[in-house]
Amino acid sequence: MNVHADIPHPNPVPAGAEMERSSQRSSKEEHRGELIVDRVFHRYIAGGRQTEVLNDVSFRIDPGHVACVVGPSGCGKSTLLGLAAGLLRPSSGALRWDGVPVAIGRNPHLGMAFQQPGLFPWMSVRENVAIGLRTRGQSRRDARRVADEFLDNVGLADFKDAYPNQLSGGMAQRVGIARALALRPRLLLLDEPFAAVDAFTRLRLQQEFKALLRLDRPTVLFVTHDVPEAIALGDVIVVMTQRPAAVQRIIPVSREDRDRASPAYARKLAETLECLGVTSDIQD
Amino acid sequence: MKRPAHVVMRRILLPLVGVGCVLGFWQATLSWYRLPPIVLPSPWAVATTLAELVRTVAFWRDVGVSLFEFVCGYLIGVVLGVGLGLLMGEWRHFRMAATPVVESLRFVVPFAWIPLTILWFGTSYVGKILLVAYAVFFVMVVSTTRAVAQVEPTLSRVGTMLGMNPWRLAWQVHLRAAAPTLASAARAAAAIGWIAVVAAEYIGASAGLGLMITNAATSLTTSVVIGGMIVIGIVGAGVSAAIGALSRASLDYR
Repeated sequence: MNVHADIPHPNPVPAGAEMERSSQRSSKEEHRGELIVDRVFHRYIAGGRQTEVLNDVSFRIDPGHVACVVGPSGCGKSTLLGLAAGLLRPSSGALRWDGVPVAIGRNPHLGMAFQQPGLFPWMSVRENVAIGLRTRGQSRRDARRVADEFLDNVGLADFKDAYPNQLSGGMAQRVGIARALALRPRLLLLDEPFAAVDAFTRLRLQQEFKALLRLDRPTVLFVTHDVPEAIALGDVIVVMTQRPAAVQRIIPVSREDRDRASPAYARKLAETLECLGVTSDIQD
Repeated sequence: MKRPAHVVMRRILLPLVGVGCVLGFWQATLSWYRLPPIVLPSPWAVATTLAELVRTVAFWRDVGVSLFEFVCGYLIGVVLGVGLGLLMGEWRHFRMAATPVVESLRFVVPFAWIPLTILWFGTSYVGKILLVAYAVFFVMVVSTTRAVAQVEPTLSRVGTMLGMNPWRLAWQVHLRAAAPTLASAARAAAAIGWIAVVAAEYIGASAGLGLMITNAATSLTTSVVIGGMIVIGIVGAGVSAAIGALSRASLDYR
């Protein structure tokens, strides 16, 4: 099933760059659906002080695979998503999507759900989901139909005409997810999309989400705090260190590991948590 | 909706109490100091004068001229002010270039321009329209710039993610998200614009409420002066309420 987890530094930069220049088309075919994060550093300057956020982050997600990024709060996971989305520019290093460096601005293959749902308060739930399809050129009627379909999928069939301020936090997040999925993206970026829902709803949403991924098999970068969630959804778990964050370890997840009743699951959970500095035996 | 009795009480009786207090104070002052009508006519005399005024064509022409000047100037000022404010909010370099001009000009109150507008445009409508536009413009520029710059950053990211180009983002997301702030600014701007019209007419005009009042003052018909002032107040409040209702109707997503 997976994974190039053991290759933190994919192709060495100079050779890769050379190849791209000589034959970009064939490289594009070859790397279609692949997201590569290559020796990325990111720092920003605020109030005259420079803050290092990412410090040499490298990993790669194969086409159609799901990488779950876990790490301490504030370690730069959201920054990583911003870079992959082309909303931020890395201080150094490169991110490549489809074999081509990610550029600032629009990416027609991208769907993203943010930590704050970021719904437009002046639009109904349906319009919020449909607007992206409209800006990407679909007709009003098609956009509406697809929006309805995806709102059904996330269990919000009865709230299509509601306005965002009439929704609970968890419902708003589901609208955000529906909006991202409705774009039928080839690259899906998710920033703790299930953070605002209760534990049971979260488990149910995870299952539904997995089913929805089977529809288009996008390449997914999924940021979460929740290690069981990462095991349930990820093909690989990318464990980040404290800020300035580097990749501490890349842990592959197999189908057997996802069975919550299995010893394999317990081992995977313990292994991942240990990377995060949590020991598995709790003593008095 | 609660019980109708409460609604009647709140919506009608309480405002009447306020108006009644002012009228009572007015009448009391008059009786206490035994003022002659030429100094301060009684509320009743002013009411009678107003009732006569509203039956004349000249009165409605004056109201019409003032309102016409106001509406033209107001629309020009709002459109230009929001346009420039949007540019300043979106485009940092432009903001840096425009800020010193805007910041210093906006403290040159419209009234300071009255002598110049009379010199340039005489007593015609044009001068008043420009004056209102000027007054409204600066209110709108400043609040649009601020409102656009303060739009929730996640909304911008969402817009970009959804494939909007910068123009579309500015127009469909930033301006729209700023709309509630702009609506209250537009209401404040209306008050300032209306004040500017009447003030300009006081000093030099060929028609309008301001002129009506100055004419009445020179012929010592004090009840017309006070009646005119009341009309200015009522029209101003009406304009403000109309703009408030309009913005509520178009921003009805609570």
